[in-house]
Amino acid sequence: MEQFFQQLINGLVLGGIYALIAVGYTMVYGIIQLINFAHGEIFMLGAYIAFTLVMFFPIPLWVAILVSMLFCAGVGMLMDVVAYKPLRTAPRLSALITAIGVSIGLQNLARMIWGAKPQTFSEETLPKFFQQLNPLVEPTSFLNIFGVSFTENAIQFSEGVFLAYLDLSIIILAVVLMFGLNRLVTLTKIGKAMRACAQNRVAANLMGIKTNKVIAITFAIGSALGAVAGVMVGVRENINPLMGFHKGVAAFAAAVLGGIGNITGAMVGGLLMGLAEVFGAGYIDTFIEFICNNIGLGQFYEDEKISHSYGSGYRVAISYIVMIIVILIRPTGLFGKSSAHRA
Amino acid sequence: MQKYKTSKEQIVTFLKNSGNLIQNGFRSKNIVFWILICAFPLLTFVTDGISSMFSMIGVNLTLPSGDYILYIGVQVCVYILLAIGLNIVCGYTGLLELGYVGFYLVGGYTAGLLMRHVGVPYWLILPIAILNGALWGLIRGAPTLKLTGDYFAIVTFGFAEVLFRIVKNEIWLIRDINGFVKDIPRASVFVWELNQNWQHFYHILILTGIVIFVSYRLENSRIGRAWIAIREDEQAAASMGINISRYKSLAFAISAAIGALGGAFLAQFWGTLSAKTFEFWESILILCMVILGGKGSIKGAIIGAIIIGSMSEVLREILSRFPPDYAGARYLIFGIILVLLMRFRPAGLIFKRT
Amino acid sequence: MRNWLVGLLIVGLLSFWGCQPPDKKTEVTSDETQETQESSEKATVEVEDDQATVEGKDDQATVEGEVAEDQATAEGEVAEDQATAEGEVAEDQATAEGAGPSSDDTIATQKESEQVKVAVAGPFTGTAAAFGEMIERGARLKAKQINEAGGINGRKLVLTFGDDAGTDKEAKLVATRFATDREILAVVGHFNSSCSLAGKDIYKENGIVALSPGSTNVSVCEGSDWTFRNLYRDDFQGQFIARYIKNILTKYNSVAVLFDNDDYGRGLRDAFTAEAKKIDLELVTSVAYDRENTDFSTQLTKIKSKKPKAIFISGLYEQAALIVKQARKLGIRSLFFGADGIDSPDFLKNAGISAEGTYLTTPFTFGAGGEEAAKVAAAFEAEFKVPPDTWAALTYDAMGMIAEAIEKTYNKEATLAENRKAIRDHLASIDTPEEGFIGITGLTYFDINGDTVNKPAYVKVVIDGKYTTAPEQMLNLDAFK
Repeated sequence: MEQFFQQLINGLVLGGIYALIAVGYTMVYGIIQLINFAHGEIFMLGAYIAFTLVMFFPIPLWVAILVSMLFCAGVGMLMDVVAYKPLRTAPRLSALITAIGVSIGLQNLARMIWGAKPQTFSEETLPKFFQQLNPLVEPTSFLNIFGVSFTENAIQFSEGVFLAYLDLSIIILAVVLMFGLNRLVTLTKIGKAMRACAQNRVAANLMGIKTNKVIAITFAIGSALGAVAGVMVGVRENINPLMGFHKGVAAFAAAVLGGIGNITGAMVGGLLMGLAEVFGAGYIDTFIEFICNNIGLGQFYEDEKISHSYGSGYRVAISYIVMIIVILIRPTGLFGKSSAHRA
Repeated sequence: MQKYKTSKEQIVTFLKNSGNLIQNGFRSKNIVFWILICAFPLLTFVTDGISSMFSMIGVNLTLPSGDYILYIGVQVCVYILLAIGLNIVCGYTGLLELGYVGFYLVGGYTAGLLMRHVGVPYWLILPIAILNGALWGLIRGAPTLKLTGDYFAIVTFGFAEVLFRIVKNEIWLIRDINGFVKDIPRASVFVWELNQNWQHFYHILILTGIVIFVSYRLENSRIGRAWIAIREDEQAAASMGINISRYKSLAFAISAAIGALGGAFLAQFWGTLSAKTFEFWESILILCMVILGGKGSIKGAIIGAIIIGSMSEVLREILSRFPPDYAGARYLIFGIILVLLMRFRPAGLIFKRT
Repeated sequence: MRNWLVGLLIVGLLSFWGCQPPDKKTEVTSDETQETQESSEKATVEVEDDQATVEGKDDQATVEGEVAEDQATAEGEVAEDQATAEGEVAEDQATAEGAGPSSDDTIATQKESEQVKVAVAGPFTGTAAAFGEMIERGARLKAKQINEAGGINGRKLVLTFGDDAGTDKEAKLVATRFATDREILAVVGHFNSSCSLAGKDIYKENGIVALSPGSTNVSVCEGSDWTFRNLYRDDFQGQFIARYIKNILTKYNSVAVLFDNDDYGRGLRDAFTAEAKKIDLELVTSVAYDRENTDFSTQLTKIKSKKPKAIFISGLYEQAALIVKQARKLGIRSLFFGADGIDSPDFLKNAGISAEGTYLTTPFTFGAGGEEAAKVAAAFEAEFKVPPDTWAALTYDAMGMIAEAIEKTYNKEATLAENRKAIRDHLASIDTPEEGFIGITGLTYFDINGDTVNKPAYVKVVIDGKYTTAPEQMLNLDAFK
């Protein structure tokens, strides 16, 4: 059971990250029907910018996150103006190739600037409660209520289930930002304009909505959210030029799973992908063991379990299988309307 | 209304049309092109000749060696074949496919494993690989018939990714880690093993020629028109009496079979396989070729494959003349060129009006 | 029509020329260039060496441009040669195709004949680019040091780099490019086992040595006389670690394996589990991760539920650093054990305090592995601002071995193929410890396949953020035969 709760936490954190990235894909898609492949690279840039800032200037992490959000919003808008705007009227897939081109370009640019080696935020640039503890020393808990103890860098639920403050902050950030975005889209004027553009760009233009401006803002918001996710992943894991590609593809799958173009869908899709990945990798061999034991292959499983590693080798694949099954059952994703008919 | 013909008549028309096609293909305008293609291995010997002539008078031209150019040529031909295969799903039926590399993988491993571990001769492998590819095309195609647009795209992507993981993890199947298949025997004609690059070149040229021919014939047939009708408007096509599921399945199967053919050639050409060859990136590359050349056009697919398939090597050659600090910029420039090409030819290099 | 025929004739003639075996062509080349070189006694040299010292002996060469002459110790003819050959010592960042921007043809040809060219192939872009970067730097450092010390027999060592992007496709292209080149004498590379396997046949068919500083898969060197590697295979280390845990870390009697789902991690894991079964070491579970992943909490949670006393990380340092970090965050307090793949200063840097108490094996230690290694590490850090890792060191040594082979065997009169063959024969003759090459990674000599015969493995442990030699070593290798 401990394992289950721990995996649940792992899944929520991963899902939160996916959701934050997926929103960027889905917002842009909702308005201009473009799969913005380069969004993953924005996420990567966000992490690198914050990393560079805290390494060279004595500023706290949250300032770096804000600057990185602004910067990435700018890059997002620039990308739109330079690469995608000239292709608004072109076939949809041409813009996809442009996006792929931008993605390859940014990936290699980052490699040339920051090097191919993964970078990590050094401990002293992080807030105290994000830092690591010495594994050889027993952690001290300064507060203990109902068996939940708070240590320097994590909440320890019962024996064995840990939630680091860093992971907690990712979940909180994801929830808060998603909620804010939802309010923004449903309540504000610009949100209304976005929805209008998503429904029919030409008509929205005729109604006096400056569609280009709306598109630029969409790019900016999506990119800023991607940047936040990037920094958090950078702090939690590491920063490398390919992080955008690897996480981006999964996040894109999440966006489609939720119904591309739909923001709620992206959030749910992200969470679902994260949970599927974690539980798949965590439990599929237990599942196989169960089956083997019931059909009389228990001994076979015992012999083979060390040399095969069912489950964990398929970690990413499992989330894609879940995604495929969901899409086959609901051909327009969880929350989506029918997507662009022609590719 | 077209009347149904008897099978004999059908064959006669088929032969007649094929004759016309071949005649048109060899029009005087095209003849230079054909000669160039067929004489390509010869031309690579010429570059060797030129550089050895210049080295006699003491000038080192630092031209790339002929064998290397020929190798790129073979690689590009494989990409032409794949691009034409993908063009059937992407161009004719208008579905965005992100997992074409899956069929390439199926073909490659069918050939690699059967030739290496069972000892099936290559010429028998080709039909087996094609059939196996078609089978997998149908397996993937059946549940995805109802999907459109990006939902189809992401399912195809997921499918290819799952195949990739299977090859990487299932040691009992591949018999080595990481999808390694080593020492795959080369194809041979009677007793002669095809192991020279120029032999590979003509080998793949013939395969590609056949695929191009088939593709042309399909495009201008009832099937091809049905596909295009589906692309333009699925509902309208259905109401005109086109069996959507059947024609879509056919497109998946043929496209997958061509991909598998490319994989089978690759297995014997390379002699080794590893899972890494069949990563997502390869699908993207082939997709770029089709779209860059102009969706739904065979000429476009060929030109796209030539440009993208050789671009990374051309850039390598050019950048090697600069200080090595720029050598890492190869794929940066690759990306920029992609963006620029699409910027100035948004509908693809060969734009086909429909 | 006549034009066509004439054209065809010319094409035919040229291609006939091209069809000749490459050996003959090079023979012609070297004779011709030798003549050109002798005829032009006074060459104009443009030197960009800022730390060069003027040598009086060397008045033969007129110096154009801003800077003075470089060092030339030899006398007579050699001095002349050197003056021209080392004209551009400053440009040790070897350019791919020798000719500098402002040198005219004569100098270009002279320089060509006075340089030896070695290729380095590795993943300089793509997923394994981090290793390619280190390989490139290790090779450059060695080439620079060789050239500063006067080159190989007075000839400048020029490197050319080939990016295989970690994929078979590009590895094949790079291999073809290098193997059919007219100047390249030997290849150092590739890194990925899959790339080495992909290039193996091409190198073999064209007869050129490929010395890999990074491929550990068991079959990389099998079946080809032309492939060598200067690091040991996966299997040895796996056995070693299993025995070390069983015999010396007796307290840690149940082990979980977390392995990189790639050839390195998998090969190591297989050897480890096989040996563990043999010597009755309890294995609780074996979990895979993918190299592109950066989140390992799922796998670690799974391992945690089995409560192992020790966790063997069969992978590379980038992931290992994240693994120990994330494991500590999940409250896992088992002992971590790694192989040479995690022996890198970056492991300590990235894992920080979480790395405390981690055991690892290593073929050598930069700190304790002799003065030479420490000196190289310092030079490396001064040059590239980052500390070297295992692959930089292995490439450095591989380059050294190739350079030594060229130095001993290179014959200007001989054809390219003969020179390449001589290099191979020299490498193959290094098959006893007495003849072995002493580099910074220890003594290297090859067995019949071209694999490196086991170097003894040392065990290190991380204490206070530093690698420290573990108190108990297990250096007797006889047990592994």
